[in-house]
Amino acid sequence: MPDDRRFHPGRLRHTVLEMAYAGSTVHIGCAFSIVELLAVLYRDHLRYPGNDPKAEGRDYLVLSKGHGVMAQYACMREMGWIGETEIQSYFSDGTHLKGLSDSRIPGLEVTSGSLGHGFSVGVGIALGARKQGTDQKIFAIVGDGELNEGSIWEGMLFAAHHRLDNLMIIVDENGFQAMGATEDVLSLGNLRAKFESFGFKTQEVDGHDEAAIDSAIRSLWATAPGQPKALVARTVKGKGVPFMEDDNRWHYTRLTAQTFAEAKGALGLSEGSK
Amino acid sequence: MRDAFSDALVRLAVQDPKVLLLTGDHGYALFDAFRNQCPAQYINAGIAEQNMVGMAAGLARAGFRPFVYGLSAFVPLRVLEQIKLDIAHDGLPVVLLGDGAGFVYSHLGTSHQSTEDIACTRVIAGLDVLSPADRHEMTACMAHAYAARRPVYLRMGKSDRGDVHSSSLAPLEAGRMIQVRAGQLDLPAFIATGSMVRTALDIAEQQVDAGVWSVPSIKPLDAAQVVRVARDSRGVVVLEEHSTYGGLGSAIAEIVGEHNPVRVMRIGVSDRFSEHCGTYSYLLKEHGLDHDCVLERIRMFIGSTPA
Repeated sequence: MPDDRRFHPGRLRHTVLEMAYAGSTVHIGCAFSIVELLAVLYRDHLRYPGNDPKAEGRDYLVLSKGHGVMAQYACMREMGWIGETEIQSYFSDGTHLKGLSDSRIPGLEVTSGSLGHGFSVGVGIALGARKQGTDQKIFAIVGDGELNEGSIWEGMLFAAHHRLDNLMIIVDENGFQAMGATEDVLSLGNLRAKFESFGFKTQEVDGHDEAAIDSAIRSLWATAPGQPKALVARTVKGKGVPFMEDDNRWHYTRLTAQTFAEAKGALGLSEGSK
Repeated sequence: MRDAFSDALVRLAVQDPKVLLLTGDHGYALFDAFRNQCPAQYINAGIAEQNMVGMAAGLARAGFRPFVYGLSAFVPLRVLEQIKLDIAHDGLPVVLLGDGAGFVYSHLGTSHQSTEDIACTRVIAGLDVLSPADRHEMTACMAHAYAARRPVYLRMGKSDRGDVHSSSLAPLEAGRMIQVRAGQLDLPAFIATGSMVRTALDIAEQQVDAGVWSVPSIKPLDAAQVVRVARDSRGVVVLEEHSTYGGLGSAIAEIVGEHNPVRVMRIGVSDRFSEHCGTYSYLLKEHGLDHDCVLERIRMFIGSTPA
């Protein structure tokens, strides 16, 4: 595909870097791991009638792991919902884009960052859509670290019991949480087996392979009526910038002028695709 | 009062199919009528309160009018963060119903007793706090909560203490206290909520001829009215089946202290959990909230407050 297609992952990461540098903020690694997932969802799956982020009847993208919100801002920029000024003034006094997902921003559906909240809200939206007989789809992106939260498993029990097949939980399985590897902090074991045992139709996918993500999402929706869906996406925290990849310091590290320049260089974008 | 609650809920659900009742596996028998008449609007979310409250936010976003029922020891306490972030932050029209407030579950111990819920909910921005005293206030509070289209916590305490109003009430005005008895102006005003309105009224009718105000709306609270009542009385006695920290007593003291300082006695639960097991009236006595203890404290207050 040409570099100038919408939601080009390199360009999305470039936006994330611009925001992170402008705001001198953290959570770059958390945003980078979900870039391809978001790119595929926005480009090929989410329906926003009239390109309106508040349109009634829209599909819902719930970013339960609010720490990845800069990647979503990058997509919202491509949608035309936020502008250049908002990117460059990120974190300036009096601006409205925050460091974590905030539902008052059109395009963001939940206030997350305290983990384990968004998924349940998504379950409620899915139940509401089902009761109203709409064909809306609800995607909820959770982090693997976020799966430490008990409320996620409460919501999974409910979704399976009530056969919410309009709901898809997408796990950003990047293998890290704030203080270390998920395997070292609170081992999650075999996620696919866990989701399946909870009654979710489940697929695993390389979370940076856009074609594979797209195909997995389509196949999940197309099969197993009556079952909620789970997509376990194996990702790399910090993906796209080699010195950030799998280095959990980029959960909390801020960019300097030098690392900003190096990271932009590593993305290797041609001028036309920025 | 529980019948009034059930009747109001069924009435709302019948007239508005968007009304949903979510329960965290509580409310045995209480919801029989609801389940019979509106089975599609009844959701037992299981023993999973966090998910239940988060889902209620999602359902409200999808256009529904969720009423979320739990014991007040769990809803709001266990799910306070869900109430703050998922519901109150966006002003979603969700009504949280906390049943069994105070010492209703006197035999079951601390896990089921609830003397913190008003303090916890008052501080959540944009969340109203209602606390009916009898069936008439319950009916009015339910109508008010539904019409408000905003986040509401409705506290349900001891339900069989009898009426404090002789007939049904006009629609609630947000924050207005309701005078249930006129009294002598050289005595303190009794301001009470929930179960303690009955106690205040008994004492006023039998021993201390004071005016009594019931507070079905703890938040918002009409500060100008509170100031008027305080100014026209010999101090204020506030009564509630809740901690003296952060409840109605605190709310009244904050207003009076800021606008018209007079003495305020806060009668409620002091900073302790129940020591013993027993009937509801036994536990009230343990906490100094039975008729005789309250009367004695009010007499001491009058004795030490200049006319």
